[in-house]
Amino acid sequence: MTTMHALVMIFGAVMPAFVGLANWQLPIMIGAPDMALPRLNNWSFWILPFAFTMMLSTLFMESGGPAAGWTLYPPLSLQGGDSMPFVILSIHLLGLSSILGAINVIATILNMRAPGMTLMKMPIFVWTWLITAFLLIASMPVLAGAITMLLTDRFFGTTFFTASGGGDPVLFQHIFWFFGHPEVYILILPAFGIVSTIIPAFSRKKLFGYDSMVYATASIALLSFIVWAHHMFTVGMPLAGELFFMFTTMLIAVPTGVKVFNWVATMWKGSMTFETPMLFALAFIVLFTVGGFSGLMLAMVPADFQYHDTYFVVAHFHYVLVPGAVFAIIAAVYYWLPKWTGKMYNEGLGKLHFWLTTIFVNLTFFPMHFVGLAGMPRRIPDYAVQFADFNAIASVGAFGFGLSQLLFVYILFNTLKQKVTAEDKCWDGAEGLEWTLSSPPPYHSFDKAPKID
Amino acid sequence: MKNFKKTYLSLTLFAVFMFSFSYMLVPLYDIFCEITGLNGKTNQTKVLNIDENPAERYVKVKFTSTIANSAPFIFEPVDREMTVQIGKIYNTLYTLTNNSNSIKHATASPSVVPSEDAEYFKKIECFCFSQQEINGLETKELPLQFIIDDDLPLDTKTLILSYTMFNTTDQIGSN
Repeated sequence: MTTMHALVMIFGAVMPAFVGLANWQLPIMIGAPDMALPRLNNWSFWILPFAFTMMLSTLFMESGGPAAGWTLYPPLSLQGGDSMPFVILSIHLLGLSSILGAINVIATILNMRAPGMTLMKMPIFVWTWLITAFLLIASMPVLAGAITMLLTDRFFGTTFFTASGGGDPVLFQHIFWFFGHPEVYILILPAFGIVSTIIPAFSRKKLFGYDSMVYATASIALLSFIVWAHHMFTVGMPLAGELFFMFTTMLIAVPTGVKVFNWVATMWKGSMTFETPMLFALAFIVLFTVGGFSGLMLAMVPADFQYHDTYFVVAHFHYVLVPGAVFAIIAAVYYWLPKWTGKMYNEGLGKLHFWLTTIFVNLTFFPMHFVGLAGMPRRIPDYAVQFADFNAIASVGAFGFGLSQLLFVYILFNTLKQKVTAEDKCWDGAEGLEWTLSSPPPYHSFDKAPKID
Repeated sequence: MKNFKKTYLSLTLFAVFMFSFSYMLVPLYDIFCEITGLNGKTNQTKVLNIDENPAERYVKVKFTSTIANSAPFIFEPVDREMTVQIGKIYNTLYTLTNNSNSIKHATASPSVVPSEDAEYFKKIECFCFSQQEINGLETKELPLQFIIDDDLPLDTKTLILSYTMFNTTDQIGSN
């Protein structure tokens, strides 16, 4: 179930949500009628339900769902039940869907910008998506290769990872994380773009350091390809390797720090208001930074030997993914919902949703730091008695977090039923081409390309 | 529309390239391990300049064995420990017993600790990676001939050679 949770959340929730946002927002942000390749887009979307039907159907198999973690490390993944080939094929399909989506994003951004919109004049969300799309195309095929090798090892007698034929299971970890680390930035870079759009709008100031923001995003993306082995410090690497991956990993904190600094500087002396999207964006900055700091702790080799595969790691990546990526998605939905639907959501309920979500998210994941430091291992369904209290707190938080998302669903339906229509430019500090369109925008926006000076 | 096609094609090619790159990583990894001598893979070159007058330096070599996935074997070194002179050829044996009643196939994979010194552990004759066919209840002797290279760093006093024996009967059957 842990394996399923990870695969569904990464490939079924966060990535499709970001690609969906890209499909809605990119054309109206760069002044294009629609995405460049509609059929490709259609294909990319309709692969998803089939891939997930196949993946989820393994839960009903005799051998149960996959149980090798989302990282699918051999030899465990080679010994699992019959669900493995199904999961591998569905991951192939999901990868294909992501690559197609990414090709479409790049084709749209490179070819369909309004006249006058040079690359360095693009909205920051467009920039982050452009870079994310390149990461997708570079890393997803590597995952496809790795899991194909798993498949042939198991069914066609190859020995890439089977030790009995001279294969090396550690090799899989290298290939997997060569994909895996860019993948985690795929999950966070669009979130950076969203936050960089929302913070200036509600601070009523221009984004501080636009250029440095673009360069920071690009350098995070490049660095992501040379840090992979920090996920595997304990495999028995030589000292030189550990040092290299430790220092490059810490280097990532520099561009990320630039971003956090720019967000804070954008708010500095701005006339800030705190509507729901802004609240989520602010919580993103604070909580993502918490996750970033625990990441730095994990990057230190001597400390990582203690933290490796404990709940501390679980706390770390949930802090960057839930109050990170997921909060950014929620913020984006609140921010652009009036644009998409033409109706304003209920601000009071939105704020209630924010506070419930933020409190429960911390209640869920903060105690995991403590049990992790005390040595509770991850991926083991039972734990020693001394961890029971903190785990109980985390469980309460998780139920609360889950239930408060029902309020979010209610808010979305409630918005559609509102009588008052939203103005075309419903946030007075918002900037960008999308706000010059009607709310909701027409099916084909910008039949005549707008001019950008 | 011409531009789209160009973008589309080059991006698709890039994706295909990255897919093949993941396969290229396999030999690259081996080359990297070979150059740096990491990973505990032992040197399998058979060419050797045997020193006529080996140095008066001795190291301890320990032998261990593991059976993978509780295969029905008994697999043990005959000598658990030897004190060997550097640059001199030594012979030893492992024994493999098939505890089941049917024919089995087995393959062993070797590993040397400390892994940095694996390249100085040279095996002249070795049963590693070769298929052993063994009848039910039979015991086989697996010979090993090795030499420790002169260039072994001075601070290394002990080397451990470990073999893991895998039951490959199913894989042979499926081929």
